[in-house]
Amino acid sequence: MELLEPEILLQMLINGLLAGALYALLAGGLNLIFGVMRVINIAHAEFMLIGAFGAYVLFNVFGLHPLFSLLIIVPIIFVVGYYFQRVLIERVVDRPMLTSLLATYGVSIILINVGLLIFSSDFKSVPVLQGSFLIGDLAVSKPRAVAGLVSLVLSVGVYLFLDRTRLGKAVRAVSEHAQVAQICGIDVRQIRMLTFGMAAAMAGAAGVMLSIIYSFWPGSGVDFIQKCFAIIIIGGMGNFVGALYGGILLGVVESFVGGFISTQWAEAVAYLLLVTVLLVRPTGLKGVARA
Amino acid sequence: MKSRFSLSFLLSILLFLFASPALTQNNEIHVGTSVALTGKYARTGQEQLQGFQMWVEEVNERGGLLGKKVHLIHYDDESKPETGAKLYEKLITDDKVQLLIGPYSSDVTLAASTIAEKHNFPMVSSGASSSEIWARGYKNIFGLYTLADLYMDQIIELGKSKGLKKIALVYENTAFPRGVAEGVKRKAKELGMQIVFEEEYGKASTDFSSMIIKIKAKKADMVIGGSYLPDSTGFMRQAKEARLYAKIFAFAVGPGLPDFGHNLGLDAEGVMGNTQWEPTLKLPGAKEFAEKYKVRHGHEPGYHAGGGYGAGHVLEAAVKKAGSTDRDKVRAALFALDTVNAFGRFKVDATGKQIGKPAYAVQWLGGERHIVLPEEAATAKVFYPFKDWNKR
Amino acid sequence: MPENDQRSISFWAGTVLVGLALLAPFGVNEYYQSFLLQVFLVIALAQAWNLISGMTGYVSFGHAAFFGVGAYTGALFLTWGYPWWIAIFNGAGIAALIAVPLGFLTLRLRGPYFAIAMLGLNEVGRIVATLWVSVTKGGTGLPLPPSLLPSLDITYFMMLSLALGATLLIAWVHRSRFGLELRAIREDEEAAEMVGVNTTRNKVTAFVLSALIPGAVGAVYAMYTSYINPASAFDPARNIEMIVVVLFGGSGTVWGPIIGAATVMFLREMLWAQFPAAHLAALGVLLLIVVLYLPGGLVSIVRERHRERPDARPGESP
Repeated sequence: MELLEPEILLQMLINGLLAGALYALLAGGLNLIFGVMRVINIAHAEFMLIGAFGAYVLFNVFGLHPLFSLLIIVPIIFVVGYYFQRVLIERVVDRPMLTSLLATYGVSIILINVGLLIFSSDFKSVPVLQGSFLIGDLAVSKPRAVAGLVSLVLSVGVYLFLDRTRLGKAVRAVSEHAQVAQICGIDVRQIRMLTFGMAAAMAGAAGVMLSIIYSFWPGSGVDFIQKCFAIIIIGGMGNFVGALYGGILLGVVESFVGGFISTQWAEAVAYLLLVTVLLVRPTGLKGVARA
Repeated sequence: MKSRFSLSFLLSILLFLFASPALTQNNEIHVGTSVALTGKYARTGQEQLQGFQMWVEEVNERGGLLGKKVHLIHYDDESKPETGAKLYEKLITDDKVQLLIGPYSSDVTLAASTIAEKHNFPMVSSGASSSEIWARGYKNIFGLYTLADLYMDQIIELGKSKGLKKIALVYENTAFPRGVAEGVKRKAKELGMQIVFEEEYGKASTDFSSMIIKIKAKKADMVIGGSYLPDSTGFMRQAKEARLYAKIFAFAVGPGLPDFGHNLGLDAEGVMGNTQWEPTLKLPGAKEFAEKYKVRHGHEPGYHAGGGYGAGHVLEAAVKKAGSTDRDKVRAALFALDTVNAFGRFKVDATGKQIGKPAYAVQWLGGERHIVLPEEAATAKVFYPFKDWNKR
Repeated sequence: MPENDQRSISFWAGTVLVGLALLAPFGVNEYYQSFLLQVFLVIALAQAWNLISGMTGYVSFGHAAFFGVGAYTGALFLTWGYPWWIAIFNGAGIAALIAVPLGFLTLRLRGPYFAIAMLGLNEVGRIVATLWVSVTKGGTGLPLPPSLLPSLDITYFMMLSLALGATLLIAWVHRSRFGLELRAIREDEEAAEMVGVNTTRNKVTAFVLSALIPGAVGAVYAMYTSYINPASAFDPARNIEMIVVVLFGGSGTVWGPIIGAATVMFLREMLWAQFPAAHLAALGVLLLIVVLYLPGGLVSIVRERHRERPDARPGESP
């Protein structure tokens, strides 16, 4: 069977890793929010699409390359996320988890449909960086390589921020135990706003990267948020590093399923994983999952 | 307090009971249609509507249908069959149109035609070609397009004549692309060629990289896609990224549209496709229509625009022959009609299926779309084989 | 208002509404009859969702899954030549049958995990319908031949009886011991268990009943639209609608879903043909308003005058 030849397996692996890096960046943000405030942000993928449409608009109006628009979009979405937390999420953060789930669900519906009113449901894409890098017989798609690497760098950057800096340690402290952190003199409210801003910015960056690989429309978020759910349930809810591993794992699994079975099955893998894991291990594979 | 709520609810129900508008204007003929203005089929749907609107204008300039002004009521079905079905229900029962034009895509037509059949309402369908639509024994759906099964015949014959053997086939999992795929499989079998790879993908699929890897591994000579516009452009872009090479690349729908060349630029060069119609065909009024369309919309009309325009002419001919907009008379007229208009010949069999129109193959050459097959209609010679990516 | 008065108002309002609904087909044109049919559809679905999510507090984000199962089952039985009432019966039956094992598995999950699992299950339903080509014809969908379809009047009265049946079921559950136990689960599951409530049995029963109704509704819907495909049968927008309708009207109550459905459908009718996106965006705004400012829904505005506290919203229990 020609699919078992090493270069084809390698090609699938590379495609999977690159796609997985993008998932990791997206799911990492979602898990950060969950870790710090026990809120599942259903509208997370819509923040990603804000990034993607931002890149689309900047490219079509000013001819700006998405890699440059990254520098504009990420800070803007950070600010948007920061104030979004302040205006909306702060009101539901101490309420039962379902309240915040329903509230972010409402936000997601609004964003999708406002997106439809503005951009219609046509597929959009940002056609830059075409072609491929050739490494021997391997052809690595340029947009995918760039998107994957940028995503990886950003994820690692956020990890280092959390691991090394004072502020990052404060974020982790709130994530571990908010009340104790408060007693220790950490401004928990401020940390929450910072976290949401950061997570939204990560989603926005993932969106910009998405725009150079795939075509997208305002409803594209639904698939991604469900993939994120699968990822954080596999990697452990609230566990930032777990989300990174989970994301990369999903990317690779999808790529191999696509190769050995079919693309339609690859698109279904995340849902099947999500449901199976939840039904078999109600608390997820690891992490802070508590009812 | 509570009773007040029940009361307002009651009132709103009563309002609906009495607010049934039953106004039918006598000096106008209402024609209803819904096409995809948004969603996956948006570009093709828009073109079809624009073509049809040009007929509406022209017929009104000519003094209307049966001396009455034609008024078009149209909606957007968002490329969704279920929305299309709902909209045709609305057109028939709420807007009470006298004539119907079908939606764009076989997918939506499959759903909408059931509604038309339920109300026994003849519908002229300009945007559908899957033979499945006419295999159900319906009496009210009249096609303009050459059937999907025949789309790739000439291209496969070309491949055979060049000694190619291995075909890779990918297609969307809905009615029309499946129809194209069925046709490809039949033709390949007839000519003794081999389908070395076959896979379906979803309507929303945007990532074709796994398929491309496999096609590469199978070393196919021909890659054929049962596709629409977004997937055919997406596939070609990713084929280039993965350096997938074949002697012939051919796709349904996409390459027949100006957007294909516009979106892909030089990468469109050499890609083949099908067409129902081109402005260069020697048909009465085709040239005039194409020129007028270009002035208005800034680009040459593709076959979807031509189809919309042609549907108008078919409807006009049928109503004139019937002498009224009576559903039974119009249906009988459509069955009996054999006419040639700017879009080509219209003649259907006993199921309403189109049998009068031939198929054409196009190829992108020098940034333009040319008919290359059959030879008598060709405006350029076939370019063969496809130029490899690193030689461009 | 004393309790008795309220009950008799409910009874008479209900009777008048049902009477009007029975007469409507003789007085309105087909289009408005279709509209009323869709209102009944939403009422029936909302009541089903109300039963599991409003009463027990287990918020399902994927009840459209059972609707989809019912729609496919109904459509398939119809195309296999069975009469329409057997098709509807099977739609309900298969949906309920699937719900039994799923109920045991998913109801072990709490709060958001249950919500997410249900969201995923709806997608799994869509995937099965897409990939099981030999039976469902995949993405092409199933167009039903008009010769097999029951008339609009039949589908209308079927949908009306489903809405009525679902409402009466909720009204009965509301006053029964079963309903009391469900509400005990919503308030505090551990405590309920400790005082001897068989929580698993109660939850699963509520879940299966709440799957049976969408199953039947889905089958009738398939006959009404005469065409289904994976995207329309397992439409996430239907989940949104169920949740918004119930929360907006007032969850855990009998009248809430009816009032919610009337309001939301009126809004939809004004908007859908011209501005489909605006209609859903408006639903999102409604959801947000209800979650933030109106925890008990519209019904609570009426209730708060004469009762100490409105019904808690799903998930509000600690």
